[in-house]
Amino acid sequence: MSRCQCDNNSKVNKEELIATMDAIIERVGTSKDVIIPLLQEIQDEFSYLPSEALERIYERTEIDRAQLISVSTFYSQFRHIPYGKHLIKVCTGTACHVKGATNVYDSFKRELKMEGDSITTDDQLFSIEKVACLGCCTLAPVVQIDDKIYGHVLPGKVNEVIEEFIEEQSSEEKKASAKKHHKVAGEIRLGMGSCCQASGSSDIYNELQRTSNELGIEVDIKSVGCVGVCNKVPLIDVVSEDGSIKRYPNVKASEIKEILHYHFKPAGYFTRLKNSLINRVDTYHTDLTWDNVIWKPENERTGLIDSFLASQKHISTEGFGYLAPLDLNEYRKHEGFDGLQKVLTDANPKQLVEDILNSGLRGRGGGGFPTGKKWEIVAASDKTDKYVICNGDEGDPGAFMDRMILESYPFRVIEGMVIAGYAVGANRGVFYIRAEYPLAVKRIQRALELCREQNLIGSNILGSDFSFDISIFEGAGAFVCGEETALIASIEGDRGFPKQRPPYPAVSGLHACPTLVNNVETLSQISYVIRNGVNTYNQIGTENSKGTKVFALAGKIKNGGLIEVPMGISLNQIIEEIGGGVEKDEKLKAVQIGGPSGGCIPANLCDVKVDFDAFNQMGAMMGSGGLVVLSEKDCMVDMARYFLTFTSEQSCGKCTFCRVGTKRMLDILDKLCSGKAQMEDIDKLEELAINVKRSSLCGLGKTAPNPVLTTLKYFREEYEEHVQGICKTGTCKDMIEFEVTEDCIGCTKCAKACPVDAIPYEPYKVHHIDTELCVKCGLCIDECSYDAIIKVKKEDKKNG
Amino acid sequence: MQITIDHKNIEVLNGETILEAARRYGIEIPSMCYAQNAEHKSSCMVCAVRNMANGQIIPSCTTLPVDGMQIESETEEIKQIRTLSFELLLSDHRADCEAPCSLVCPHGLDVEHMLYFYDHQKYKEACQVIKGAFPLPEIKCDQCKAPCEKACRRGNIDEPVSIRKIIKELVNQFNIAEINPIENRKIDKKMFQSRLGRFNDKERQHLKEHVNTDSRCLHCACAGKSDCKLRTYATQKSIKRPKYDVSSELPVMNKVLVTGKLWFEQAKCIRCGLCVYNSKNGFTFKDRGFVMQVYIPEENRMNVNEELATLCPTGALYLENNPASASTGNK
Repeated sequence: MSRCQCDNNSKVNKEELIATMDAIIERVGTSKDVIIPLLQEIQDEFSYLPSEALERIYERTEIDRAQLISVSTFYSQFRHIPYGKHLIKVCTGTACHVKGATNVYDSFKRELKMEGDSITTDDQLFSIEKVACLGCCTLAPVVQIDDKIYGHVLPGKVNEVIEEFIEEQSSEEKKASAKKHHKVAGEIRLGMGSCCQASGSSDIYNELQRTSNELGIEVDIKSVGCVGVCNKVPLIDVVSEDGSIKRYPNVKASEIKEILHYHFKPAGYFTRLKNSLINRVDTYHTDLTWDNVIWKPENERTGLIDSFLASQKHISTEGFGYLAPLDLNEYRKHEGFDGLQKVLTDANPKQLVEDILNSGLRGRGGGGFPTGKKWEIVAASDKTDKYVICNGDEGDPGAFMDRMILESYPFRVIEGMVIAGYAVGANRGVFYIRAEYPLAVKRIQRALELCREQNLIGSNILGSDFSFDISIFEGAGAFVCGEETALIASIEGDRGFPKQRPPYPAVSGLHACPTLVNNVETLSQISYVIRNGVNTYNQIGTENSKGTKVFALAGKIKNGGLIEVPMGISLNQIIEEIGGGVEKDEKLKAVQIGGPSGGCIPANLCDVKVDFDAFNQMGAMMGSGGLVVLSEKDCMVDMARYFLTFTSEQSCGKCTFCRVGTKRMLDILDKLCSGKAQMEDIDKLEELAINVKRSSLCGLGKTAPNPVLTTLKYFREEYEEHVQGICKTGTCKDMIEFEVTEDCIGCTKCAKACPVDAIPYEPYKVHHIDTELCVKCGLCIDECSYDAIIKVKKEDKKNG
Repeated sequence: MQITIDHKNIEVLNGETILEAARRYGIEIPSMCYAQNAEHKSSCMVCAVRNMANGQIIPSCTTLPVDGMQIESETEEIKQIRTLSFELLLSDHRADCEAPCSLVCPHGLDVEHMLYFYDHQKYKEACQVIKGAFPLPEIKCDQCKAPCEKACRRGNIDEPVSIRKIIKELVNQFNIAEINPIENRKIDKKMFQSRLGRFNDKERQHLKEHVNTDSRCLHCACAGKSDCKLRTYATQKSIKRPKYDVSSELPVMNKVLVTGKLWFEQAKCIRCGLCVYNSKNGFTFKDRGFVMQVYIPEENRMNVNEELATLCPTGALYLENNPASASTGNK
């Protein structure tokens, strides 16, 4: 989301506003179905949707007030009130949640003195919001301020983060003005983009600046985007003379000097490179322009990466480690578009559909519907206008593989899409990508241009008589739009209400044309199948689940990150062999798979193989591929409540069971987590969950109860304990109190750390906690070196 | 086309939904969000049936059958689902079917109805209502312990409406002998009674400031109850009290005059969207999830017509001259 450049406080001149609006309308269009792109442009311009701007829409377009209210209040991207200058986004994805994101959010509000429901500071400097997932699950808890991402933000660090941000802001402003005068010698890129900004990155950043000054080396130090191996950060890339890039994972501050010495000889030597570099450097200013990167594995430093990669198999992520995201020629050198070439040469779309059917490929978006079957239905229609939609509306909190594939392997997805288009006889394709993924949008945009230049999309592709072109549609923030009929509704300019099926989109979809909707990851498997043949692909996986699956491995795991594994690998293998086991050597309790549509698989069943049907049988679901490891310190009731909070917010609101049913389930879970529930509430919850599952109209409602049903199935005793007022893990705050034990030596560290002064400053005395003031943020526990602060069961106040 | 519903053979006409075909054969399937000859989308799920072929629960009001389809409609499972969908809708329905004062009057006086006339300065009619319940002139209100005043929701905000005082005032104003009694509407106590519950502080404040009728009566009784499907079905399903804790994000008792005699009270809306789909740039949805509401922007009020009231399955949209009851709103 690009931010407003103007000062929110300044009054926007009415005439100027109208002129701006007219220009936007001129550019985007006036028909009803352009409403979402139109609102996105307006928000880009003004940072929110000013009512005067909306009035202009009514005057100049076909969009009326009813449609505008309906759409603009449905999608969470749109804001109707101005925000502060800087926006703080606190990630509340699954991984961040289990690591205490709520405490972080509360801390920010406390530190910034935002009272009650207020989300903007009085001086209009900061606004705060919770976001479903920033896709940096391995660095949880994560916070993003404007474009800067902060990893491992503990509640006690919130103050530092704010100070650091403000400091950087002011120094950046100074630097920006200074930069105009000074000449840049070279560049170092530090992985601090969407998912690599580790806790150590800012130290490295400071060290780089300090050392480069000390050595008199004039280099630009740039923050860049995701590098895929999240557990290997901090990670820096050094741009060399010939444009190639040297990569250093797991860099320590002490090594910076050595690296700088190695690459940047005395200034004199470097001057002759200046002119050749300056042009390049200009294109590297933000992580959004982090293009043409050559990915080079650094074997000498990547021992751990090797074991991380050992059990993996790269199909969707083929080329991992060496493929430049936007280098089309390199992609083609590595068999890229060979699949498409083959398909066009064979000129047998019928056989192609047959092949995909026989490959056993199933939809990676969650349900696992056979991909070939879908193709068959669309291909069977004799209508001339057909669509292929690539579903990139990945909305699970705790999943970001689609984003990574779109960002890193855009050509592979495009190739899959063109092949699909050829197989089903479609002539138009649409990329549906969440607006929260600006880098993915930008990469795909550029990739499409490059493909068009080489006639890989457009008219008469590669000299054949097949024509197919692709456009991009940016989703506006609604989890339900991952459901294909809701997705289509939003492209058509409606709120994302799912439609009743049948008719399936394959028969009547976008603009009532037969429409093939395939997930990003599904499409990224296609070219492999074509190039290597059905039988090769068939070999990988289990009987009914073929190929590989990409997972976002996060939570209480030592080495998290994005992984691609063959179907049939067991969860235990993933956790132990790839993930290196549970963090802090805690005991594995369960694996949450499939996000809000999936369920929790208990540790004793983690020898289950990755397989669509095996997961379904356990009441979980492959989902889109979030894999969150939970340890004995995680509360399963809280987990269920967390997901229900998400789904009830994301429910479109159309059908009763989802709209009211999920809310009533959440009510009961709230009661359970605050110790106010009765035994019969558990049965009530179960009854409701079963009925919401079978009677909801779309996939969101039908799967929303899964987190509840699986935890009830495998961890029922925990629910019962909650009725008795016990939360053994101490997660449910309403049921616990903090207490100082006799082990306290009176060091006052906790008293200093307490953000609400609930611990009086009493040196050399056993401290005590004022439970009335205590907000149970856990800072004192983190601070105490003697483990003298414990969580105890709150005294029974049930009837009070 | 042939299908079966509960093993009974049904001939389906072209374009007919399962619900429509079933009704033609006298098979009763409840429905809320469906209206004949009007645009609708299934949402309420009270018309759920089961497709025996795949076990799926489907809304019969929008599903077009395919030849040979086998449908179950009267099984325990389906009954349970339908009841549950009513329970869920009711848990989001913070409204009174009947005014508490009218419900508790030992003489069966429809107090709220009387106050409706009073607040519209139709004192004679108000008096006629009183005479319909009491053997005037020997007024019994003096001896009455006035449960009506104890039950009065206004008492929850500041002071209850002085019902006895108003009755006395009215009776003294007229020559009772010349008043023709209006027969009192008997409240059917067997009917389901939705209850609004307690106000929160915000609501209390809002109502205190905005309800300024002569009598200070809030007019809790539902003006659209006579054709409220929610109440009818809840009664049929023998639902007595809400199964789930009632809560709603919609403003209670917020009655808005839309156009002509058409009024809208959001808190009674089940979000079926019939008024949205059948008005052009009129009603619209706002927000999503549990807090999603049906909303009419002020600028759009002239774009809708009164007939929408007949589409509304509850008392959310109603016409003021509904003789069964009364309403007074705040704008």
